[in-house]
Amino acid sequence: MDLRLRPAEQEFRNRLRGWLAETVPGLPPRPPGDDWSARRRYDTGWQRTLHDAGYAGVDWPSEHGGLGATPTEQLIYLEESAAARAPYIGANFVGLLHAGPTLIVEGTDAQRTQHLPRILRGDEVWCQGFSEPDAGSDLASLRTAAVRDGDHYVVNGRKVWTSMAQIADYCELLVRTDPDAPKHRGISWLILPMDTPGVQVRPLLTAAGSSEFSELILDDVRVPVANLVGAENDGWRVAMVTFSFERGTAFIGDVIESRNILGEIADIARSTPAPGGGTLWDDAALRRDVGRLAADVRGLWALIGKNVSEASAGLVPVQGASVFKLRFTESRQKIGDLAAHVLGRAALAVSDVPGVVGGRNGHLVEDRITTLAWTIAAGTSQIQKNILAERSLGLPKEPRWTSR
Amino acid sequence: MDLTLSADQRALQVGLRDVLADLWRAEHLREAAAGAAPGTKDWSRIAELGVFGVTVPEAEDGMGLGLADAAVLFEELGAALVPGPLVPTALAAGRVAGTIDGSAIVTMLDLRAPVLLVEHLDLATHVVAVDADGLRLLPADALAATPVQTPLDPLTPLWSVSGGGRDLGERIGSAAEVADWMRRGAVLNSALQVGVARGALDLAVRYALERIQFDRVIGGFQAVKHLLADSLVRVDVARAAVLVAALTVDDPQVAEATEAAEAVAAAKVLADEAATLGGRSGLQVHGGMGFTWEVLAHLYLKRAWVLETSFGSADEHAAFLATRVSAVSAVSGVSASG
Repeated sequence: MDLRLRPAEQEFRNRLRGWLAETVPGLPPRPPGDDWSARRRYDTGWQRTLHDAGYAGVDWPSEHGGLGATPTEQLIYLEESAAARAPYIGANFVGLLHAGPTLIVEGTDAQRTQHLPRILRGDEVWCQGFSEPDAGSDLASLRTAAVRDGDHYVVNGRKVWTSMAQIADYCELLVRTDPDAPKHRGISWLILPMDTPGVQVRPLLTAAGSSEFSELILDDVRVPVANLVGAENDGWRVAMVTFSFERGTAFIGDVIESRNILGEIADIARSTPAPGGGTLWDDAALRRDVGRLAADVRGLWALIGKNVSEASAGLVPVQGASVFKLRFTESRQKIGDLAAHVLGRAALAVSDVPGVVGGRNGHLVEDRITTLAWTIAAGTSQIQKNILAERSLGLPKEPRWTSR
Repeated sequence: MDLTLSADQRALQVGLRDVLADLWRAEHLREAAAGAAPGTKDWSRIAELGVFGVTVPEAEDGMGLGLADAAVLFEELGAALVPGPLVPTALAAGRVAGTIDGSAIVTMLDLRAPVLLVEHLDLATHVVAVDADGLRLLPADALAATPVQTPLDPLTPLWSVSGGGRDLGERIGSAAEVADWMRRGAVLNSALQVGVARGALDLAVRYALERIQFDRVIGGFQAVKHLLADSLVRVDVARAAVLVAALTVDDPQVAEATEAAEAVAAAKVLADEAATLGGRSGLQVHGGMGFTWEVLAHLYLKRAWVLETSFGSADEHAAFLATRVSAVSAVSGVSASG
């Protein structure tokens, strides 16, 4: 057991920190949230910058063009990027964290050659077509049908919660290729080019007022059989490979952001007058709440250290990933509520209003809304608890209510 | 960075777990809870395993290991609900002769508390009195104390101190050493709490897999599964925080002294939460039986309630952490290496 970094890791941190300090201040301002083509340009531009500096695909193996960094170096990368307030992975998320790693493990040589270098350079943006209106937590009940017609599949169905669909070049698509097989055994994983005729993108407005998500309507969409990843009807297993990347490290930067937000809340409370005199910070109950959430953040960071250590030892931190997601998302929502408490009626405005100390209520209020999605996306808290209860505690599995 | 248990740590952990499974079986706990207080014989057997001298140098008959190693072992002591002044004795090892082999048993009196209660005075040979100006050591019989008729935790007998603590005894530590005593004590106390939380969870999971209602084991109901999953989350988060706190306290390279203090405070907050909420859920899962003296669930919760009052309450630690929260200073210090 050791908290210290190895010399090579410390060197990696120093070099990266220096590069970020040189690079981040010169970046153009971030585009507004709903200007999707500007966001694509900005996010992929940052990916190109990372690529040219040799920092693209930190977690990808070096034989596929990545950095081949150790889990600890990946942690350092995310930690330093968040501390430097470098751009978020944004539009590159699905390509870098889902599709690319899945193709590395499951793709053909032709698929890898076509896509991996372009994902790393920021030339290609991916979106995810997994969930459906009637297949959410019960993803394996998905019904989007792919019927073989010569060397193509003809795809019909609907997908939902597809982030960045309006600017994506490709979609990782789960389809049902065998409607008669048990539900987990008739699914395939396809690469769908988003410019294929019959693909319609219909933006959904989120509770945060953003059109981040879309619905995909697929109407007689012809996808080459060559775009199949893994074997036909083996797509559920391939999707599980994809998910194993999703649950690893995606939230590390967000824990640092939790700490930053908590710090902002405390600073606002310290200089906001209280109704009876003094400041809001004079309230011991408020300080206790801040302190408890600060303990949460430290506990989560310790847990990340443990998960990364397990990954370094060649283990897959399955339990650690669910534990982390449950506690982190719950804790961040509490931070949002605390922000609202400190902001008072300024918490009613998602845009900045005069009179707030520091003048930055808007992003705190927006974060409070945005993070409502976090206990739902990527496996709801309730599904995560089932996973822990069944896989870690050995309690009985949920009964199978469906006949298939 | 490596937060996994080493082969040596795992061997120590398993060794202690095996001995405790034999020494502290449920019947033994029940007997002790019924009034047959554990004696010095049990204490000697635990001391033989070396748990009190983990961080004492080998030249002084200790194991010469770190606070994290001690935390790993103290989690096991907590999970087995081993009674006795475990933390003060371990803290006194190296200062008080005989603690490592079990011949000296050290309890603690925190003179800064408004109500002066001392635990396990019958078992103890010595008392360390903690005050703002330092640590003093006195023989256990030097305290004027009367037994508390009914302690909350039947395995943690209490004495009410009416005098004698304040000026008696030999000075064994300065005011600066009080901070170190409290810090290391909070880590070990938190490790016990993680163990208590884990023990309560294990007991509840076993029961949930046996107890049948509505023709199913109750562990198959989501309401029960989620209660237990919540406990598991708290145990894992607290354990990680305790190990990081132990390593941070031991790390000579930690630049800021407050970094260790913050890591320890977070560990105590999270471990108290894991043990008290986990103890409560454990009792709840047992249903009506959970409210009986016979089922051990109440002993876990009561021990959690005892330990949460020691080495600073979660509220005190949270209040300290709050003083350190600011966006202005938030750029470094997330990881010990930052």
